[in-house]
Amino acid sequence: MEERILEFIGDLRRAELRISTAEALDALAASAEVGLTDRETFKATLASTLVKEARDEDTFNRIFNLYFLDLEALGEGLKKALGPEDPKVQDQLDRLANEENLDLDELTELLMRGQGSEMEMAIRSGSQNAGLERLMYFLQVGFFSRRISDQFDWSAIERDIERIMQALEARGLDPGQLARIRNYLELRLEAFRRMIRQHVQRELERRAYRAGERLTREVLADKPLFALTPDEVAQMKNVVAKLARRIKDALALRQRQEHKGRIDTRRTTRKSLSYGGVPMEIFLKRRHREKPKLITICDVSDSVRNASRFMLQLVWSLQECFSRVRSYVFVSEIAEVTQAFSLHPVERAIEWALKGAPVDYHCRSDFGFAFSRFANTELESLDRKTTILLLGDARNNYNDPQAWALRQIRERVKGIIWLNPEGQWGWGIGDSVMPLYAPACDIVRECRTIGQLGEVVDHLVYQWWRRGR
Amino acid sequence: MFESVEEVQQRFRDARYIANRRISTVIFLAARMGRPVLIEGPAGVGKTELAKTLSDVTGRALIRLQCYEGLDEGKALYEWQYAKQLLYTQLLRERIGELIADAPSLPEAVSRIAGQDDAFFSYRFLSPRPLLQAIRSEEPVVLLIDEIDKAEPEFEAFLLEVLSDFQVSIPELGTVKSRHIPLVVLTSNNARELSDGLKRRCLHLFIDFPVPADELEIIRLKVPEAPERLARAVVAAVQKIRTLELRKPPSVSESIDWARSLVILNAKELDPVLVESTLTMLVKYEKDIERVKGALDKVLAGTPA
Repeated sequence: MEERILEFIGDLRRAELRISTAEALDALAASAEVGLTDRETFKATLASTLVKEARDEDTFNRIFNLYFLDLEALGEGLKKALGPEDPKVQDQLDRLANEENLDLDELTELLMRGQGSEMEMAIRSGSQNAGLERLMYFLQVGFFSRRISDQFDWSAIERDIERIMQALEARGLDPGQLARIRNYLELRLEAFRRMIRQHVQRELERRAYRAGERLTREVLADKPLFALTPDEVAQMKNVVAKLARRIKDALALRQRQEHKGRIDTRRTTRKSLSYGGVPMEIFLKRRHREKPKLITICDVSDSVRNASRFMLQLVWSLQECFSRVRSYVFVSEIAEVTQAFSLHPVERAIEWALKGAPVDYHCRSDFGFAFSRFANTELESLDRKTTILLLGDARNNYNDPQAWALRQIRERVKGIIWLNPEGQWGWGIGDSVMPLYAPACDIVRECRTIGQLGEVVDHLVYQWWRRGR
Repeated sequence: MFESVEEVQQRFRDARYIANRRISTVIFLAARMGRPVLIEGPAGVGKTELAKTLSDVTGRALIRLQCYEGLDEGKALYEWQYAKQLLYTQLLRERIGELIADAPSLPEAVSRIAGQDDAFFSYRFLSPRPLLQAIRSEEPVVLLIDEIDKAEPEFEAFLLEVLSDFQVSIPELGTVKSRHIPLVVLTSNNARELSDGLKRRCLHLFIDFPVPADELEIIRLKVPEAPERLARAVVAAVQKIRTLELRKPPSVSESIDWARSLVILNAKELDPVLVESTLTMLVKYEKDIERVKGALDKVLAGTPA
């Protein structure tokens, strides 16, 4: 069982749960304490030692079900396969096994009175040399089932059954009873064969799941955003949520600054009174960490639709994390969407921002116009704590870029960060005016893939906001 | 302490706490393995209550450390009372004078005073705070560290050190090692991410809102005077309200409060007027209240009227 648990932990790790060796050892020690009798208890044991984040619970549950069978359900299934319970037959068989030394094959013993769980264990050990690691396609299920069943000595079982029947006949059972017992044993044999096939199928599922997870992460992280299908976009939702969470966590860490800063004379003097005027304890003034203000401006024109979708998702999550986020979208007209984003759940908010916001979606994107409008109306509300996060490809359709507007905005804020979903090679070619805007920005990053978005977020968290502390 | 998971469940139940399989398993493991338990979950699902009940069930004293922003070692572990020490020294100046009066040389006088170190560096001048209390306790205790997420990360690192070997060194007095490993329960409301180290050290328990059957059981236990019909209606309504995407969904403690107030109002069943007038017991934000009022039909649908 330990191996099974370790293998399980390996899969959890592959699914991006961080599990240390110490935790793995804990899991083993803890499961030894509670045993395997109760599935719920066993599950709770593994969960409490391995899963330390509530958000990983779903992954855990999913993988757990692939690994550890619901034996009760299995028992039920077996019972159903066997038809109505036949205690009389079982009784006969038990008596026979107890009274006569038939020297049966192990598997026959199992067939005579084994539980579902024991059968499962037998299949598992039988499958050890079957080369299941090469199992990849559904068509192989039959082949591997056969390979596993080849591990068992079926002719010995047939022989054993014959011997059992003879022994029973010798005891003087009437033909009707004999037929019933034979039927019972054959049904169990059939159920066992079916269990082998089920085992292989589950193994396939587990493998497919494992490969799928890896594929999702590795391939999608490097796939350009514009090339993602709607399905893939949905799959990447968790990734974006994690990114937002990372920003939140980094900023929510309230750093204690006890060993830095100016002396708080008032508190120090007050406390010194209890030591006869000697300043035994020194108090320092706490510096208040500025809370970052964030303004996001997102191009929602058709050319960057997929990228905006991600960006809006990030914006939405950010807005949930911080009180001071304001969000804007534009094509050429610019509009604030903060209110709508805080009211609606993420899906609806994004759909709305991409289709229903009060901007004209049918015109061509015009960054210059949007920036000049923004500068005219919002300039007053900007301050040095504000960071502006811009998403757009800077393809201005040969309109006036009005770079002065962006420079003017830059003068009022802490900084401007521009994320461009287009590859760097394209900047400045054709109608791209990125080089004109770049000087006004503090950071300009290519942001074509989710992987790159992750890097940007890391940069923001570890350099950008840290700097201004 | 406990022989089996079932025993935990039964004994908690006897102490009027409904512990599901998961909770009892974790408590059982914590007692067996001597590990701290980190409990996370929404506010008001009985995290703190669990620690209190654990102390009841095991007959151990409960020592509680409430965390807050700015909590430091001085307030959590011990504080050296310099003022008291200073006062004693001043009051005893004459005695000290006598002691060294006939010392032939300065080094001799110093070593005579040094001989009295024990008098000046003793537990007398130390005020123990919860952590030290738990470590020094003669009897095994339950240590509850409440809302650890409110304290700073630095404190967490310090706590990790204490929790890993249950000993602290006090420069003035030397190392203190605990006699018994206390049962440690930490709770967190998830205001911020806790450090990996702490999580790794602890058994993790996530308590969510209870399933209807458990919640009904809780109401029956905590508000025994509520008629069965009312209790069922309350649970059904609360469970539905929780699905409404509120800013702060009603917790177990709030549904208990609500049930109590309904009993005081002598209600036998729920009707829209009654619910609307007592809604503030259950939902605390203006927007949430509006939302529940808007969905009142849905909330009360299917409850025995």
